[in-house]
Amino acid sequence: MAGQSDPHLSLFSPSEVEFVAEDEIVEIVPNIRMEALNMICGDFGPFFPQIPSKVPLWLAVALKRRGKCTIRAPEWMTVERLTQVLDAERESPREFQPLPFHYIEISKLLFDHARDDITDAYLVRSLIEDIRDVRFHKVETGLETISGRTHAVKLKNLSAMEVNIVRPFMVRTLQAFYKHDSPQMIQQADNTGSRSTPVTDRGPRRDLRRR
Amino acid sequence: MPCYYDVADILMEEELISVVFQVTANGVGLLDPGAERNSVEKGAKVDLPFWLAHGMLSLEQAVSINVPPCFTQKTRKEIQADAACVDLRVRCPYFYELGCKIVPLVGDKSIGQFLRYAFASRYKEILSKAHSSSTMTVPKFTTRLTKEEAQVFESARESMSAFRKWRVGGARLQKASILGRKRKTKLPDGPSTP
Repeated sequence: MAGQSDPHLSLFSPSEVEFVAEDEIVEIVPNIRMEALNMICGDFGPFFPQIPSKVPLWLAVALKRRGKCTIRAPEWMTVERLTQVLDAERESPREFQPLPFHYIEISKLLFDHARDDITDAYLVRSLIEDIRDVRFHKVETGLETISGRTHAVKLKNLSAMEVNIVRPFMVRTLQAFYKHDSPQMIQQADNTGSRSTPVTDRGPRRDLRRR
Repeated sequence: MPCYYDVADILMEEELISVVFQVTANGVGLLDPGAERNSVEKGAKVDLPFWLAHGMLSLEQAVSINVPPCFTQKTRKEIQADAACVDLRVRCPYFYELGCKIVPLVGDKSIGQFLRYAFASRYKEILSKAHSSSTMTVPKFTTRLTKEEAQVFESARESMSAFRKWRVGGARLQKASILGRKRKTKLPDGPSTP
């Protein structure tokens, strides 16, 4: 695992996050008749032609690659929904819109394996890219406001991949701030009352998102 | 937090620190290159590694520690002017770690504030550079970072480039490097020595 070189930073590689995302349930329309599949994670099927059925993403992709089904794009992966989300993301500079936790990974898997099942695939793809860019920009501007008093950062509606990208940086930065802000480093200085360096605004704990 | 096996923590303690001997020390003339006899006079100014200075200070106040040049007013002024442009690695590659260790040993209590101010103002630059820089080239400014900052920068850059790589796609299964290598045909040279 990617994090093994540094056990303090439990870092997943993007493909590991993708692996986790493959357990999300999607709807497929099989074109074959098949017995129910009894897996450790649950029973899926039985499958009948043209009868929609819910399966995990990994099974859907496997069936799709063999030409045994079509995958129904999730309801959030439509042009109207994504346009709404993108507009909302742009309008609220501090909040994240609710999207599926694994929206980046799901959309990538679907685009890689079931491109023909998505209506307006090109538009949907560019919309998701835009949403991701806007959201990540928000994360970055939020990270810039971390100060010595930040002990925790609240990130509501952030997706798995977005968290995973900023995690190592965030952990190290918060560790450094924690170290520099520890009482034995700071309190002594407060007692003497002589401050030779201007101190940045030590406001209350900051959130990336207004509560 | 530094742990016993932290290599950076061990290396950091090798940093030279200027100390003034409060007592005359016999038999340690090798510490002072200018010593005429095998002893260090009282009041002599000597550069010692941090671990030795720390040990001698805590033992019997044999030395007094001068604040290292990287925490003096001159550096502070430069940090205040433009924190991101100051080359801290030249001054001390273990700037923050040394600072944390030296605060309890010297009288100057404002070092803690200074450290935090320096890190807070420099890390924004690291953040923006780390996520925007290309995956191949290492930006020029990394040579100005201390070890700790470089670690932060690398971790951010690595996760970002790993994500980009994943998004572009490619083989999900990676070939072990040993499989791609061609076996060298080695001529059996045997015991050819006569």
